[in-house]
Amino acid sequence: MLKILGCALILLAGGGAGMTMAGHYARRPRDLRSLQAALKMLETEITYTATPLPEALGRVAERAGPRLAPLFNRAREELLSPSGRTAREAWESALKAFYPTSALVPSDLAVLRQLGPALGISSVQDQSKHLHLAMEQLGVEMARAEEEASRYVRLWNYLGFLGGLALVLMLY
Amino acid sequence: MVTAPLLRPVKSTKSHPVEEVLPVLPVQLRNLIAGLPLEVLERLEEIRLRQERPLALGLVHKDAFLSPEGNLVSSPEQAYRVSAGDLERTLQLVTGSSLYALEEELRNGYITLPGGHRVGLTGRAVMEGGRVKTLKYISSLNIRISREVPGLATPLLPHLIDRRLKSIYHTLIFSPPRCGKTTLLRDIIRQLSNGAPELDLPGLTVGVVDERSELAGCCRGVPQRDVGVRTDVLDGCPKADGMIMLLRSMAPQVIATDEIGRDEDIAALEEVFHAGVRVLVTVHGASLAELAARPALRHLFKLKVIQRFVLLGRSRGVGTVEDILDGQTMRSLGVR
Repeated sequence: MLKILGCALILLAGGGAGMTMAGHYARRPRDLRSLQAALKMLETEITYTATPLPEALGRVAERAGPRLAPLFNRAREELLSPSGRTAREAWESALKAFYPTSALVPSDLAVLRQLGPALGISSVQDQSKHLHLAMEQLGVEMARAEEEASRYVRLWNYLGFLGGLALVLMLY
Repeated sequence: MVTAPLLRPVKSTKSHPVEEVLPVLPVQLRNLIAGLPLEVLERLEEIRLRQERPLALGLVHKDAFLSPEGNLVSSPEQAYRVSAGDLERTLQLVTGSSLYALEEELRNGYITLPGGHRVGLTGRAVMEGGRVKTLKYISSLNIRISREVPGLATPLLPHLIDRRLKSIYHTLIFSPPRCGKTTLLRDIIRQLSNGAPELDLPGLTVGVVDERSELAGCCRGVPQRDVGVRTDVLDGCPKADGMIMLLRSMAPQVIATDEIGRDEDIAALEEVFHAGVRVLVTVHGASLAELAARPALRHLFKLKVIQRFVLLGRSRGVGTVEDILDGQTMRSLGVR
């Protein structure tokens, strides 16, 4: 009886581990997509209404959903802090805090970091160009992420469960 | 006996004007300047940042450089050198990291900070269709600290009030540059707008056309200087257009503007006279003869509508009222 219970636990644990890994792969395209949408919002704020950056970041945070809100809120708070942060530093530190909570990989982070030095220091047209570049690059990453997701999500789901099963068989 | 007082240190509950500009400086420079003795801060008018050149301060009567230890020095070799990083950071702080939102300001070459202080910028101009589109590679910043002088107009005001109509005479203030015209005009506007019970003057609705954002020091359209409770400011608007706009839209009792002189300004002023609105203006010029030599102003004199001419000078400090003339008789009202 106890043996069967143990086996069930191993199976559950294996399946769970597999699903966590699969979830990670499934979440990355979603994160990238909402990031892309958020940058689009930021671009709209900048090009259509020339909203000052802290205010524009705040508005994006309000509409970007609970997963991305901390990123934009943090950047906004850093910008408004009395210690005299530049937009690059604010964006950098917001990314640093956001990255571990996201499903992003280093190449995604690199795209986002590249945006920092350009943020807020040039004309509307130039800002729009930089944001477009970032959105495009995120699009490339997204295609890759989706392809990986379609391959690995099922793989990890099975792998976890089957791995658990194999262990059970070996131990039984 | 009218003698406008010297620019004296003003006691107010507001923070020191220099403190208001410190947040736009990088922390290092902020500390250097905040560490200056109080008597230097009181006289500080300008902070000049030029890339790869010494950090310069403009004081009331002289210029000085600031050493890395925070002392005033006269030789540029001992001075703190402003790095490209300092300048970039200051620019970001001045613009709130939103340079794109300030294209109009860049075209004009200055940005107004909260508190009415102004930052002048130079760099490389980007042209489009023969006009300056924007600036890039910004390499010099001049942070100009502005101070209000509440009460500057108090001794002058009784001479400008039309007691019968409970309003102000059509007034023209003239002086050479840097004699405090704008500061005086601002204080007159404030007092007219708030009303002066001791002169039996009710508060008047004042419309201000502030073409160069100097009078009200507007930051995003909101006056940062105290221009009174009944004052409407049209910021950044050409004077001639602005006066007509105010006349039509805001029903002012007084229209005030700074530095008139072009033909269209005078034409707009005529409209204002005909509408029965009082006029309060300033002009550059050291004497009436000098003013009359300018065609547009000669026309204004021919109209014979200006009732008070006020000459400012610096004989007893900035903002000294040297003379007040009656517009009808052209006689001095006996200032001294």
